[in-house]
Parts: sequence; C-alpha cells; structure tokens
Amino acid sequence: MAFAAQGLPRLPVPISASSRPNRRRPSTTTSLSASLQPNLPSSSSSPQNPPPKSKSLLPSSQTLILSATATAATATLLCGGGGGGGLFGGGGSGGGGGGGFWSRFFSAPMAVAKDDEEPGRDWDSHGLPANIVVQLAKLSGLKRYRVSEVLFFDRRRRSTTSATTGDTFFEMVSLQPGGTYRKADLLRELESLATCGMFEKVDMDAKTKPDGTLGVTISFVEATWQSADSFRCINVGLMQQTKPAEADPDMTEKEKMEYFRGQEREYRRRIERSRPCLLPIPVNREIVRMLREQGAVSARLLQRIRDRVQKWYHDEGYLCAMVVNFGNLNTREVVCEVVEGDITQLSIQFQDKLGNVCEGNTQLGLVRRELPKQLRQGHVFNMEAGKLALKNLNSLGLFSNIEVNPRQDEKNEGGIILEVKLKEVEPKSTEVSTEWSLVPGRNGRPTLASIQPGGTVSFEHRNIYGLNRSINGTVSSNNLLNPQDDLSFKLEYVHPYLDGLYNPRNRTGRVSCFNNRKLSPVFVGGPGVDDVPAIWVDRVGLKATIAEAYTRQSKFTYGIVAEEITTRDETSSICTNGSRALPTGGLSMDGPPTTLSGTGIDRVAFLQANITRDNTKFINGATVGERNIFQVDQGLFAGSKYPFFNRHQLSVTRFIPLKTVEEGAGKPPPPVLILHGRYGGCVGDLPSYDAFTLGGPYSVRGYNMGELGACRNILELAGELRVPVKGTQVYVFAEHGNDLGSSKNVKGNPTEFFRRAGQGSSYGAGIKVGMARFEYACDHNAGTGAWFCRFGDRF
Amino acid sequence: MASQVTREWSGIQQFPVATQTKLLELLAKLRNDNVNSLTILVMGKGGVGKSSTVNSILGERVAPVSAFQSEGLRPVLYSRSRAGFTLNIIDTPGIIEGGYVNEHAVEVIKRFLLNKTIDILLYVERLDSYRVDNLDRQVIKAITDSFGKGIWRRGVVVLTHAQLSPPDGLNYEDFFTKRSEAVLRVVRLGARIKRQEFQENAIPVALVENSGRCNTNDSGEKVLPNGIAWIPSLVNTITEVVSNGSKPIFVDKKLIDGPNPNAWGKIWIPLIVAFQYFVVIKGIRKQIKEDIARDDRPLWELRDLGLADRNF
Repeated sequence: MAFAAQGLPRLPVPISASSRPNRRRPSTTTSLSASLQPNLPSSSSSPQNPPPKSKSLLPSSQTLILSATATAATATLLCGGGGGGGLFGGGGSGGGGGGGFWSRFFSAPMAVAKDDEEPGRDWDSHGLPANIVVQLAKLSGLKRYRVSEVLFFDRRRRSTTSATTGDTFFEMVSLQPGGTYRKADLLRELESLATCGMFEKVDMDAKTKPDGTLGVTISFVEATWQSADSFRCINVGLMQQTKPAEADPDMTEKEKMEYFRGQEREYRRRIERSRPCLLPIPVNREIVRMLREQGAVSARLLQRIRDRVQKWYHDEGYLCAMVVNFGNLNTREVVCEVVEGDITQLSIQFQDKLGNVCEGNTQLGLVRRELPKQLRQGHVFNMEAGKLALKNLNSLGLFSNIEVNPRQDEKNEGGIILEVKLKEVEPKSTEVSTEWSLVPGRNGRPTLASIQPGGTVSFEHRNIYGLNRSINGTVSSNNLLNPQDDLSFKLEYVHPYLDGLYNPRNRTGRVSCFNNRKLSPVFVGGPGVDDVPAIWVDRVGLKATIAEAYTRQSKFTYGIVAEEITTRDETSSICTNGSRALPTGGLSMDGPPTTLSGTGIDRVAFLQANITRDNTKFINGATVGERNIFQVDQGLFAGSKYPFFNRHQLSVTRFIPLKTVEEGAGKPPPPVLILHGRYGGCVGDLPSYDAFTLGGPYSVRGYNMGELGACRNILELAGELRVPVKGTQVYVFAEHGNDLGSSKNVKGNPTEFFRRAGQGSSYGAGIKVGMARFEYACDHNAGTGAWFCRFGDRF
Repeated sequence: MASQVTREWSGIQQFPVATQTKLLELLAKLRNDNVNSLTILVMGKGGVGKSSTVNSILGERVAPVSAFQSEGLRPVLYSRSRAGFTLNIIDTPGIIEGGYVNEHAVEVIKRFLLNKTIDILLYVERLDSYRVDNLDRQVIKAITDSFGKGIWRRGVVVLTHAQLSPPDGLNYEDFFTKRSEAVLRVVRLGARIKRQEFQENAIPVALVENSGRCNTNDSGEKVLPNGIAWIPSLVNTITEVVSNGSKPIFVDKKLIDGPNPNAWGKIWIPLIVAFQYFVVIKGIRKQIKEDIARDDRPLWELRDLGLADRNF
C-alpha cells in the first residue's frame, strides 16, 4: 500500500532584510529579493503531456533564490507554488502493503488552452445526453473534454466534497474545473491517484452536463492502517533510497512472509542508520497526541502530520526540508522520513553584467569569510543563515547583485548545493557633483554676488587585489570661483583583514589625510553677549588607525594623528586670540588664545585610542542595551610647544526597557528609560580648540552649542523617557552639564571671558516624527523655553 | 614706562611745617628699618579720587585731575626721593567699564607692574557713598586674582571725600565705622579671605580729603571733621603696614600669567595612561567579551551547534 502526495503550494512570504542606508554609492537603486522558484521539469509546460511518473525522490527540485541587488532597502522572499512534493510509502509490517515507493509529480495548472483550434471554443462537447453517468472507459479517446466540476466522493463516509469546499485530497488532483482534458489525461490521472498510496480504492466517473461539459466524480476509499501511539521522525538526508525488491506475484505464502520480513529488517536497519533530526520533542509530542486522538492511521492523518512537520521546518527557516516518506505503517510507531536539506557543496560564482559566469576579482576566501559557517558543507540549510550571508556580503559593498541559491544536488539524494552568485560592482568610480548656493541678502532677496557654484569631486577604487582594500578621495568646495577659500579634501586608504583572510581576528587599517573647517564652539557668547566674532578652526592632518572589530558594533580603534590646526577669524585671516565686542563698540582683541603656541597655528601629533562597547539592539524599533565609549588622546611632546597632554572622555549610556514586549513586526516597542553620563577631562596642555564645550543638541539640550562654557573637565548627566504613542515616540528629558569648576583652568578662561555660566540644566519634552525630533526645551539658567527641531537621535 | 626719572620730592615743602616734620619723622623711621624705597599702588573704581589722592600725598599736581572726566587709561608711576628715600606711587586707571571689570585694563596694569615690587596697595573708595554692590566685589576679586590674596596684607583701604556731614541721626564716627565696615566686608568677600584670618590681620582704613576746601588746623594741616590731620595719619598707617611683617608683592611673569593650568599634573600623565589602559580599556574589553558570550544566538544557530538536544 503506498501513496504519493503533493505538497501544498506555498504562499509568497515577504521577509525584510535591513540594509544600511545608501552611503554615497553611485548608481544602483536597491532592491533585495529572494524567491523560491519551482524549477519545473519540461513536462510542466503542456497539459497534453502530463509528467511521466518521475523516479526522482524529490518530486520537484525547488530553487530558493535569495538575491540582493546592491545596497538594498527591502527584501522579499517569494516561495513559488508547486514547490514541495511529498511521497509516502507504507512500510508494511504485518500483512500490509509492500514498502514500495511511488512518486508523482504535479505541475500546478495543467489545463492550458490549445491554440490550434478556433479561438473561443477550444474543447469538444461530449455529445451525449445530459445528466448521465459515463464510465471513463466509455469516453471517446479523440475528444477534448471540458471538465466543469471535480467532486470527491468518500465511499466510507458517503459524502461528497467539491473543490470549493476543500478537502486535503484535492491537492492530489491536478484536474482543474474549467480545464480541458483528453481521455488519456483522465486515465492517467486516475492511475496516478490509484498509485499514490492515499487510497485503498479509487475510481473516476464522468457525468455529462447539459452544456456539453463533464463533471468528474472521484470516488474513493481512504487508505487506513492500524492505529499507532508513537511517532518518530528520522533524517534520511544523503542516504541511499532503498529500492524495494520486486515482489514476485507468484510467491508462495512462505516466500511472501520471508519477503516481508526481509523488508522489515531492512527498514529497521535504515532507521538505525539515519541521523537524528532537528524536529524538537514538543512537536513530536503534539503529533503523538494527534495519532492517539485519531485511532486508526488514515491517509488524511498522515497528510496532516506531514503538514505539521513541514510547517515546523519551514517556520524555522529550513526551507529545503521536506517529508519524503512515511514508513513502518501498520505498527505501533509511525516513522516519518525527512530530508532536511543538508548542504553538500558550497559553490561561489561570479557573474558578469549579462549574468554569465565569469572569473571574479574578489578573492573567494573573502566571500567565504563573510558567509556564516552554517552555510558550509555538512550543515543544514537555513533561510536565516542565508539572509545573514546576504546581509554580510551586502555590507561589503562590493557586489551589485547577490544571490544565495540552494539547488538540489542531483548526485546526493536530499542534498543541497548552495550557490552563491555574485555580480561585482565596477571597482573604480568617479563622481562629480555641482551645486549652486545662494544666500539671502539684506532684504531677504539673494544678491547676484552670493550665487556661488560649489562642487564635489570624488573617486573610489574598491576591492584592490580582490581583498576589499580601497582608496577613496573627495575634494569639495563651496565656491569653485575661489576654491582656495574652503577647499576641503579627504583621501583614505582602507586595508581590511590586516591579520590575513583566514585569521578570525578582524582588524582594519586605515590611513587618511583630511582637512576640515569647523566653527569653534569655544568662542561663543553667553546669554547676555551677542555677536561674538566667530573663530574657525581649520585642521589639516594625517591619521593612521587600526580598528579591531569585536562584534558588529563593538570595536577598539587606535592610531596616531598628526595635524596642523589653524584658527581663523571671519575674514579667513589667522587670528591668535578670541575677541569680544566692547560696550564702546570696539573689539577687545585680547581674549583667550586660540592656539597653544599663541601664533594661530599649532602642529601636533598624538596617539588616539577609542574603545566602544555597544550591545544595543532594536526591539520593535526601540533601542535597548548599553553603550560605553572611552576615548583618549595622548600627547607625545611632538608639535608646537612640545605639547604633552592626556585628554580623555568616557560616556556611558543605558537604554532600559521598562516592559518586556513580544518581538515581531508591527508590535509596539517598549517604553525605554535612557540614562546617560559623560565625563571628560584633560591633564596637561590644552589648547582652546580641544577644550570640552557645554551646551548644544548633543550635550545639554535647550542651549546653543557651547553656550554654557568651555572647560577642562566636564560632566554631563541626562535622563530621557521614551514612550511609544501611536506608532511614533514621545519623550521627556532632563539634562545637566557642569564644568566642575574647571573653566578657569583653560587658558584665558573663555567661559568667563564670554560671560558664560559654566553649568546649566534643561528639561523638556518632544515628539519624534520620522527622523526628525520636535522638542520643547526649557533652559534652566534663564528659565525660558524654546522649540527645537533636530535630526537624528540625541543618544 | 619705568624710565621715569626719579625727581627730588620738592612737593613735600608745600606741606605745612608740622606735616613735614611728621613725614620726615616717619621716613626716618622707615629708613631705620632698612626700607629705602616704598612703592604704593593705588587702585579702585573710576572717579573715586585715586589721582587726587596721589596728588595730595606728593604735594604736587602730578596727575591731571578733572571733575567730570576720568582721563588716564594707562598707569603712571611717580617717583620722588628725599633724603635718600624713594617714594614711588603708581596711579592706575579705573578698572570698571560698562558694569564689568575691564580685563583689558587689569591686564595693562599687570604688565605695567611687571618686575616691580608693591609695598603698599591703596584701595580707594569713597566715604560718602552709602552702598556697596556686586561691582565692588568684582573689583576686589580682580585685584586678588591678579596679585594674590597676599596683597591685602599690604593693603590699606582709603576712603576719600572724608569731609562730609553724615546723614541725619548719625554722628561722623558712627558713619565712618559703618562705612568702613561695609567696605571691609566687601574686601573680605571679594578676596575670599577667611573671617578669622581677616580679623587677625585687619586691613587698616584711612580717610582722605583731597578737596582744596579741606579744613585746616592751627598749623595749617588739612584736618578731617574729627580733627585728625589726614596726611601724616595716612603715611603713618602706611608705615605701620610696611612694618607689619608681611612680604611685599613682587610682580613677576608668573604672577601676571597666573598659575599655568597647562602645566598642572603633567607628571602624572604616565600614571593616568597606565590606569586608562589597564583599568578602563581592559575593563571595557572584558565587558565586550562578556557580551559576546552572553549574546543570545538564534535558535537555528544553536541547533547547528548541536546545543538544542531536540528541546526546541
């Protein structure tokens, strides 16, 4: 007794893979898609040629394609219909049926209109009186019948079901109401139903309809076996399928007994040889309960068991797992044979632009390093591991298209060949962008002189030697007519895998040369002082660092920085001291010195180290966890006035969820309490541009940048409570910043010179809308409040 | 600036004989104590009568004085010698501007005083104003920050416009006591001198009346309403302060620049670095390792590692 069943067509399952935002990569809009495609044999193309009985164990080879097209935003996993197929073999023990295996293949919609007939009517009327029951054998072999109705008639239950009411058996039948079939098709259908193992007896009648179509009734007696009370799931992946010895129909009773015993022995050996499967005991128990409730084991029950087992596997991401057989029927124990999708081979391929396989520039070791080891040979394929691989490879930024594609291994039964197909991006790219800037003039209208052409030229050479080393550079100016005014550049060489591709240590070397210009927050007036002439701090320097990544977020960076700092006033001329407007209208030019050397130009080289511990993660969109950052700059007596200093800061942030919530898409995030503390200090030479400043959106909200002071030691404390409200976030916060009396220890005491308080608190509330924060913050020093709109998170 | 020639103190002859005698007596006394020169720094808010006081002491009109305008923007040194004794008086501009202490003016004064020794600080204030405010404190603070607390051991509070008729209900002595107390209190607070220390080394208060209409006594000396001839009295106070055992203030580069915060603690940097590396960085690294160990891996990964044991 045996039967075959076809797996349920799977529905498209959307998944999403997060990807980092497009970081200045030229071209390629991004989409990440993954699909499970039925890789159907040729027979699926025509209903005229129904598939011959396939001998393959896995009725349909399914192809699961995970692909990413460059830096993607969303990913979709489509699991195409007609995917899995099941195959049931009744391993008889007593006098039951033989242990034969039948298989059967169904391709989804079989009925396709023929196009050699005149359009509109592509089928023949049955030509018989209406409403008579005709045996299949009596139908004409030449006509093409239209089947308008398919009914199932359970002889045991004496009930009729139609395709619309649904029965688990309907998935067995390829006949579609409305399809056109020849007699041979119908006979073949009947034969395949008879051999699938689900039915003890099955028959097919046709009922003529007045409109010339046929109604097909399949009457059957469901196959049943003796009741069982235990269940066992075995992993038969990569095992040779046992070929049942042909049972000679002319065997004597004794020979038959001998034959069945032999079969039984063999099956027991097979069970012993099989590997343990992943199906957990709770699910096993659930199935045992199903068996016990049912009594006799019926084909429908086996179908349900198969669905349950496959559902667990698929829910857990083992998309290549499937139930291939039920054995040991007619005993107390039902044995479910599963292939889980063992990876037998990992093949990495590169494709050119047209999708042809080509030799890649990237070294294979690099790709292998980024693949989780669960995708290597000998592991069970899991969708999540595939997604992780996709994410890792995508984050390299080297590939415009990534496919992770499990394919059935023809040589190993139940094996999976994992294909990773990569399309490389062009290693060299240059980009030029230009922009116009205009500044409103006196009456709010832009003047002609303020129109300035600006632009950026950038180039990148990625993946040098196929090792993801890269050189990139940017030169930009806001005014191309006078580029010397504010030409900024950055040139960087990145050398990943410093310890070699095969060393698990992940260190990246970076050498960069840069310049930048920033408005100094040290030379900023306090509340009563307006119009403090701005001081610009220009830095030109060279930086060489080594970053060791411990996790995706935690890392230790250390290196050396050599830079030249020039302080300039608004007219771009070098200035040595800050200035303040005097009540007389003049400027006092004897403010705090801007540089250590006193000349307006400092050169300094120092060591820099930064260690970040970040174990934050997102729970339904809310950040939860801890983040500690410690950074130290250590002077080396190298530079103007031989500076020797130790400048350090430690920031500690805790994101404490106030409620445990269930994770999942669409679920609300938990309310989060954030506690933040930051200490900074400097011992030794401290030029004003390196002083810590208090106030600003990332220091003490409600004040302007540097409004509270510039000091040698700093302490910031902040608390924030974030509560999700209707898909957005509402928060309240309180912050305090203090110079710990260290302002006077900065040369020239810029805090006092610009009449700043040296400390301050603020509190307020806000709402997050997308990336933007709208908040009302109360300045505690002045007792007034104001609305602010900021982008990005404070913490 | 310091190149001003030391001239003969001729102005002393302008004083009445009685005053001259007293002054010469005091100078002789100082000489006996091996003090051959005296540098007096006169400071105070603008318009309180600093320059007039200088003129009065020297007995000549050295500093230009006008009733409605403050003039000098720079400190001026007047040197006079008499019988082998040199008297230097440094007149300074008022250091208040627009309700704040003008750091610039303070800076100029400090630079002027570079490499000079201050024997006496005359902090000039008016007797006839009734109130002290935050501004006074700021001035005191600026002086203290510039020259250190020690300068007040050499300080004399001078109250000008001493010839006044006090408000109703107060007699002159009471008014003087009240006013001087108030000023001294401000000095104590501004200079952040401890109360006890302040009481032990009280800052003397001297009264001055620079007006030409100042009353004179029989011998022609200018006298205050309480009958004291103020010039000898002031010089007397000064000599007392000079010989009170405290050290004169030598203004050097270090004093002008203040303590260099950049130099502080430098020798500890190697220790700090060691602490940062061995405690902070290693500590955080250990936490990261713990995070990695504690990280809850997805179930499929655990199953793959054979840790599931069919329980999930």
